[in-house]
Amino acid sequence: MPNDPLFQFIDVSYEAGGNKILSRINFAVHKGEFLAVLGASGAGKSSLLRMFNSLTSPSQGQINFRTQNIDSDIQCLRKNVGILFQNPVVFSGNIRDNLLAAGRWDNNIAQTLDHELTHALEQVEMGNIELTHNAKDLSGGEQQRLALARTLLNHPQVLLLDEPTSNLDPKLSRSIMDLVDKLRKTLKLTVIAVSHDHLLMRRYAGRVIVLSRGEIVGDGPFKALDRSAVFEKAGLLGNEVNDET
Amino acid sequence: MRPDFYVLNWNDLIVSLAFIAFSLFLIKKWKLGLEQTLLVGTLRSFVQLTLMGYVLTWFFDQQHWAFMLSLLFIMILIASYEGTRRQKNEIPHFFSAMFVALLGSAILILGTILLFILDVEPWYSPYAAIPIGGMIIGNGLNSTSLTANRFVGELRHREKEIETLLALGATPKLAVYDAMKASIHAALIPNINAMMTVGLVQLPGVMTGQILAGIDPIIAVRYQIMIMYMWFTTATMANIIMLTIVYRQFFTKKMQLRRELLREQA
Repeated sequence: MPNDPLFQFIDVSYEAGGNKILSRINFAVHKGEFLAVLGASGAGKSSLLRMFNSLTSPSQGQINFRTQNIDSDIQCLRKNVGILFQNPVVFSGNIRDNLLAAGRWDNNIAQTLDHELTHALEQVEMGNIELTHNAKDLSGGEQQRLALARTLLNHPQVLLLDEPTSNLDPKLSRSIMDLVDKLRKTLKLTVIAVSHDHLLMRRYAGRVIVLSRGEIVGDGPFKALDRSAVFEKAGLLGNEVNDET
Repeated sequence: MRPDFYVLNWNDLIVSLAFIAFSLFLIKKWKLGLEQTLLVGTLRSFVQLTLMGYVLTWFFDQQHWAFMLSLLFIMILIASYEGTRRQKNEIPHFFSAMFVALLGSAILILGTILLFILDVEPWYSPYAAIPIGGMIIGNGLNSTSLTANRFVGELRHREKEIETLLALGATPKLAVYDAMKASIHAALIPNINAMMTVGLVQLPGVMTGQILAGIDPIIAVRYQIMIMYMWFTTATMANIIMLTIVYRQFFTKKMQLRRELLREQA
């Protein structure tokens, strides 16, 4: 069905080490959305994000991906749902080695030609860097772009962002998020980003879910949310690191 | 002229107590505070090894395959328990992993040595099976204990890398492959180094013991060569079997890294 949600969270709760991290979470994400999940540190947003590609499973409740249980084919799910971590992992070796990391188990990626790899780098605005360049020598922003290019080679439908710009300065953060937004439009991606920075996210996200102590306290377009009340309740005011220019 | 035997009698052993007396003198002079510990250690080593000598004499008199298999089985159980006790980290089912690794290595390597290299007749002769079995199990225990500790360290160090690979669609085995490789390398390098320097830097214990017992050095050397090869194969095989079982314990059925097992324990 064309209107079926891409993801559906049904009464999802999560506990770890005896602590309640998420409580009775219910929401759906539709294809093409740019969803921001906002919350203060410890609100449960990273745990929630990891559930979208089954790196973490709920203690209770169910998650559906394209109307099927999310765990019905985990490897297929993870190829369809790429993730960009806060600190990108760069493997030893050159840029080509990094882009072809999934080639160890995926023949399609192992057989990717150099011009296709260069195209992937161009997509993340790194077309001027040689494939033979040592990946460990890249700057923080470039490493994040390389991780993005590596994820894009899997041709995902969904991109998860786990505070991908929190270690970057405001200008670099903006340029990474501009790039993600551009890719979302050109590749028709669904983007789900967790952040504590509502000022940065409001530039890009059409919808925001606000988490506080593991519960959803707000869900809707930025404009529709009573910004000060919801954000204050979630402890988000005062966390802004990006200017609004 | 080569003596047939250097036989050590009880009087000789009493003379060797002079070493302990000299150590006690040094400990007192330097006020190291180890007198009591040394005396207990001296007494325990004497009593334990003397008893072991009588036990071994009894073992060597037993000529039955069931006895030999039971004894090796008990040795493997004890080694698996010791390996689990030495483990600094919580690894679910580690005892079973050790047991399978040591049992597998013992069956293949001890079996090959007894049946095809030494042509021991009967194959369960305790004179061959007990010392060689003990060396295989002991070496396997030391090597797998080190490897398992190192493997958990590698998993901790590479947690993000492993999750990145899982997120790209890797199976758990492929996601931890580099960690397994690094752990096995670290465990085997001492064995390789020993093979490189043996005879140049040190004379190995088994060879020294055989020469002192009057065996022709050429024959003693052949034994030593076989033992070095056996050690390396035991370490390689036991580590691979153990890690093949252990790495699975760090993942859920949903191919998720069990990060709670990687937290440092107090």
